[in-house]
This record gives sequence, C-alpha cells and structure tokens, in this order.
Amino acid sequence: MSIEKPWFAIRKPLSPQRQTLLTLCSFLLPIAVWCVVSYVPFIWHPDMVVTISADRSDVTTVYSVGDRLPRDKESENDFVFEDFVEAVRVQNESVLEAREANDPLVTTSRTNKKVLRHLAPVGIAEGWLTRDQATDDAAIYQLWGDIATGERVPTSVPLSEENKEIVAENWAILSGISETYESKKIPKEALRTLVPQGKPSNPVFVPPPHEVVATGWYDWTHQRDPSKPSMPERYVHSLKIVFGGFLLSCLIGIPLGILGGTYDFFAKLIEPFTDFFRYMPAPAFSTVLVAILSVYDAPKIGLVFLGTFFQMVLVLSNTTKMLDRSLLEAAQTLGAKSRHLMFRVIVPGILPKLYNDLRILLGWSWTWLVIAELIGTKSGLTEFIETQGRFRNFDSVYPSIIVIGLTGYITDQILASLRPVFFSWDPEHSGKKPLWIFRGFFWLVDQDCYDRTTPERKPLISQ
Amino acid sequence: MTEEFHLPSYREQSPKVSARFKKLYERRIKMEIKGLSKTFQTSKGTTTALNKIDFSIHHREFVSVLGPSGCGKSTLIRILAGLDFPTGGEVLLEGKPVTGPGSDRGMVFQGYTLFPWLTVKKNVMFGLELSGRSGSAVESEARSWINIVGLSGFEDSYPSQLSGGMKQRVAIARSLANNPSILFMDEPFGALDAQTRAQMQSYLLQIWKNVDVTIMFVTHDLDEAIYLSDRILVLKANPGEVNEVIEVPVPRPRSPEQFITPEFLATRQRLEELIHPKGAIEEKELPVVRMVSAEDEVE
Repeated sequence: MSIEKPWFAIRKPLSPQRQTLLTLCSFLLPIAVWCVVSYVPFIWHPDMVVTISADRSDVTTVYSVGDRLPRDKESENDFVFEDFVEAVRVQNESVLEAREANDPLVTTSRTNKKVLRHLAPVGIAEGWLTRDQATDDAAIYQLWGDIATGERVPTSVPLSEENKEIVAENWAILSGISETYESKKIPKEALRTLVPQGKPSNPVFVPPPHEVVATGWYDWTHQRDPSKPSMPERYVHSLKIVFGGFLLSCLIGIPLGILGGTYDFFAKLIEPFTDFFRYMPAPAFSTVLVAILSVYDAPKIGLVFLGTFFQMVLVLSNTTKMLDRSLLEAAQTLGAKSRHLMFRVIVPGILPKLYNDLRILLGWSWTWLVIAELIGTKSGLTEFIETQGRFRNFDSVYPSIIVIGLTGYITDQILASLRPVFFSWDPEHSGKKPLWIFRGFFWLVDQDCYDRTTPERKPLISQ
Repeated sequence: MTEEFHLPSYREQSPKVSARFKKLYERRIKMEIKGLSKTFQTSKGTTTALNKIDFSIHHREFVSVLGPSGCGKSTLIRILAGLDFPTGGEVLLEGKPVTGPGSDRGMVFQGYTLFPWLTVKKNVMFGLELSGRSGSAVESEARSWINIVGLSGFEDSYPSQLSGGMKQRVAIARSLANNPSILFMDEPFGALDAQTRAQMQSYLLQIWKNVDVTIMFVTHDLDEAIYLSDRILVLKANPGEVNEVIEVPVPRPRSPEQFITPEFLATRQRLEELIHPKGAIEEKELPVVRMVSAEDEVE
C-alpha cells in the first residue's frame, strides 16, 4: 500500500527521481522549442534561403547560396524571393526569344562559366564536390553532364522541373561542342541560367540545431585560417583571461576581505571606498586600462580584476563578519591570542562560506570575459564571435557562446559537488546528494516518490 | 484530610552541613569581586546592569548565580571571564586583577561553541596546542579528558554528528583540559531537554568531585541551582545587585532523591520568594468566554 505524492506540493521537496527528471526537462524544453521552431515548416519560417542562385544582368545585388530573402511581401518596396525568381525567368525568356528569332544573344564565355558555376552548390550539398571545388570549372562541367544524362540525381537539393529542362538544354549545347571541359570551348551564346530555388527558413540569427552542431564541430575540429589561432587555442586564451583576473583578485581580495571582516580598523578604512568604486562600471575603465597596460592580455586581465575585486572584498568581509562571535570568545577563554584567533578560528571557520562566495564570484568573472576580450587587440573566443557575427555566421557564433556558458556551468557544478568532500564537517552537508552528474544513475532504483507505510529511520548516535 | 505542612527554615543546617561550610570558608579565596559595577549607555540614557557587587569564591567551591531575567547574571560572568569590562570595581583571581580573557579561567557557553571544523579530539586539544605543546602527550591527555566526560569512542566525530548533551560534554572537557583554576558556566544546560539536563547535572557533579576545579554556574533553573551548588548568589534586577547569598542546606553527596527533602523544598521556597516576589508576576485572568457544554466541564 502506498500513496503517490503529489507533483505540486507547496514547499515540499520532490523525490530525487522527479528532481532529476525536471532537471533534465529544464534543459530539454528550451532545446525542444528551438527544434520545433526550426523543423516544423509551418511554424514561423518568414524567409527563403537560396539553394540555387542566379546572376541577373545589369543588377549589382548578388544573392549567393545561403542568403535569405523575405518570403512574403509586407510593403511595395520589399524585394521578396518570388521577385528574384521572376526577374531571372524574364531574363531567360529573352534568351529563348532571341534564340527562336534565330538571333541568339551573344555574351562572354566568362559569363557562361558563371552560369555553369551556379550548379556547384548542388554538387557540394550532395557531397559530389568539395567546398574548394565551387570554382573548379572542369568538375562543374562534369557535373552538368552527369545531371543532364541522369547519371546523378540530386536529392538534397532536388532540381525543379524548369531547372531540369534548363540543365538538359544547356548540356545539349555544351556537349555539342565538347564532352569534357576545355576553357576555350565554352560557347559565347547566352545560356539560360538556372532559376533560383530556395526553401523556407528562419532568419539568419535562428539557425537550426543541426547546423549549429555541425558548424560548431567543424570550427572546433578544423582550422579555417592557419594564420589565426584555432578554437582550442582561443578557448585556452579566454580561460587564461578569466582565471588570470579571478586569481589576481583572489590574491589581494581574500586577505583584504578577511582583514576587513576581522578588524573594524580595516573595515572602516577599506569598505567605504570599495563600496563606492564597485558602482563605477569596470568596462568604463577599458581605455584607461589599455593606456596603462598596452593592448594585449594585461588590460583584459585587468578588467576582469576590476570587475571582480571590489565585489570580492565586500562579500568576503561580510562573510567573515558572519562568523559566530562566541567561537572567538570560546577560543579566547582557551588562551587564544589575536594571531591564534585569525589563523585557528576565523580562517578555518569561514572556509566553507568563503568557498561558496568564490564560486559565485568566479561566475561574475565569466561575465566580464567578453567585454575584456574586446578591448585592445581583440582576442580569444570573443574575437571569433565578433568576426563571425559580423559576417552573420550565427551558426558559428552560437557554439562559442554555448561553450563559454557550459564551461562556467560545469566548473560551478564540479566545485559545488566537491564542497561536501572538502567540508564534510559542515552540518549543511549531512545527507548531501552525490555529484550532480551521477545523480541520474540513482534514478532507476529510486523509490522515494512513494510514502512508505513503515517509515525507516536513520540510526542516530545514541548517548 | 489536608494536613498543614510546615517546612523548616532554609537557614537550619545539619551539623554535617555546617561543618562542611566551616571547612569551605577556611580554604583560600579563589576569586574576589570587589564593588563591581557595569553601566551601559543606551539611547534612552544610562542603564545599570550591575551595581556594586561584592562576593568571594573559595577554592573548590561550587557557586550558582541565580536571578530573574535581565538581572545581569551573564554580564557578571562575562566580566569575570574577562570577555567584558566593568565600569567600576575590580575582580581579583588569586590576588591578581583580571584584565582580559585567559586560559586560567575556562568558560562553557550555552551555545556549545565547539569548533565545527575540528573533531572532538582536536577540539579538546585546542587549548593545549595554543600553549605551545604538541605531540602524543597532548593527544593522550585529550583522550583522557574525553574519557572523563564519558565520550570515549567519539574522538574522531565532528560536533555536527553529536547530540546537544554530548556537545556540551565536549565543551566541558575542552575547558578542563586547559587546567583552569576556575570554570565559568553560562546556562550550559539551558538548551537541553529535561532528561538530558538531569543527566548532565549528575555528570557535572561527578566531574567536579574528581577534578580539582572551582565552578561558578549561571542558571535560571531553581532546582538546578540547589541540586548543584554549595552557595547560591541570588541577584535582583534593575539594578543588578546582590539580593541574598544562600548556603544550600542539602547535604552532599547529592542525588535526585533529595529533590523532595525538607531542606531542599525550604531552599526552593526561599528562592521562589526572592525571584518571584508576590505580586511581581501579574496573573491576568482571561476574559470568560465559555465554549464548553456542561458534561464536558473539567473543573
């Protein structure tokens, strides 16, 4: 006989099993929302992303594969995807009309090569061409032949009927001259260009999850530009800035905080100014820091330091003041002098709270990272985020932001899990749960979500 | 059927008890309190917590300090321990004035005040190590003190794993390990439940019997004061002054059975008069709103 406990009970903890379930959900729900928005075609998707592009004669605006155009006209001046397609069709019409009138339009072989190249993204999407072959005319020529003869049928970017017709027609002209690519044998007669194709998509700042994962994986495992640092190098560089600033702050802030909490003399001497200084935003000092510390890592570490240090002194001073005064009195009646009180009572007594404070302050340090890396010479993950963001490569931006978040979160979780190991004496830890990551394993054997009819009691130390 | 029940005077002492007191007063004076005063400056003006207290404690004596709340019992004991400073008068410990806290005067607080980051053994060793000693001698000394308070086997437990009574026994052991000439106890059993408290009282008497120490004990529990003490220093509030010093006529060794002896009850009655004088506690009648039917009457 057991009664199921309710899921909603005011100020009552849920069973560990349910807690784990909800912890998972708190991460899975936002991801699920992201997936729904990205993969359910009729939800949102206000843009069309170009999968096959085209050049328009006499128009300077060029859309390349991956660019987005609005799907629906919201005002007269909007240039939507349909307008783009229509413009290319009109252009193709004129090529056909001229050909039918036996007066084919003449253009340059260079323009025709460009027309041919617009098929390359199809080959790349299928994996028939590598990214580097986007301008490899010989390979592209081959691709035209393969698709026209039906030897290869694209599935990732299926060709529309009108484009199939255009491919066949153009290949008829080309193969009439040469079966293989020869630069000089590209005709000068205007070819019909592929009609732009696209698929509904979200705005560029909401890339679908799989793209973010794929791009992230590519960025973090390949080096795009050998002249620039790789992602792991950037990551280590960013870590150095955060931990450099934080440790420097600890080095000076911990002793000052403890002194301020111990002696009223230091409290009155240090705290008022510190209290005032922390309201001056650290980034406001960025130019000053650059002027003093030049443009490399020093001003960045300096900014993290400025942003953390003043908070740290105040928080630690307060923590020290919270130590039970009667412990100090007890130590005094046992013969302790000032030196003993400091190192045998105050320091060990505040350690567990100090540890927690430092965890929270480390979180603060992380928030200064991005601003710190923007001052002077941009560096680290921020430089990558900045550059890619400017090119609107948000699928490259998000992985780096997520890596920063995960690093902070996991560091904190590990430190929190280690606390009961360091401070097993702290009454706060009696019956503490195991490491967050391992909690899932206890999930299956958990029976705690039911009220037992025979309550079991923990054996107490009896007198 | 009721018989008029007459208690003897609390001043009557059996020959054995009066001989004991005679012997006690012949012992050397351990601590002398001379005209001790303490005033506080508050926003409402000056408050006198203690006013010209004179008292002497003899070697190996057990003195309790008793008084209504706010009479300055804790302030007194804190001044004696050196944790507070008097605004008048002086305190002499074996002839030397007290100027601050020191290891010659031990103190046990109501709130246990064990160092939570140290094991029981390390807590007891705390004072010994401060005096510059270390090594196995200190450790075995700590062990023997833990044994005296009956906590063998818990040397390596942390305070958070102990019950209230056990924590207080560790605190006593920690103070005694320093070999203080006088031990102050500020309502040490106040936070314990009645059963544990009774047990702790009997432990304390045993420890006091076996260890060469003088004890000054602050309490607000009348029975506790009578059961434990040789003399009771009764204070009165506003301002804190000595009301009366009572020589407890209950013979030693003490046992819980003595709680109903005539001497005990007589002393208790006198303490009641001193602490709760008639009319001091206003017994206000509650407004009569009867919500009980006739057959459910209790009186």
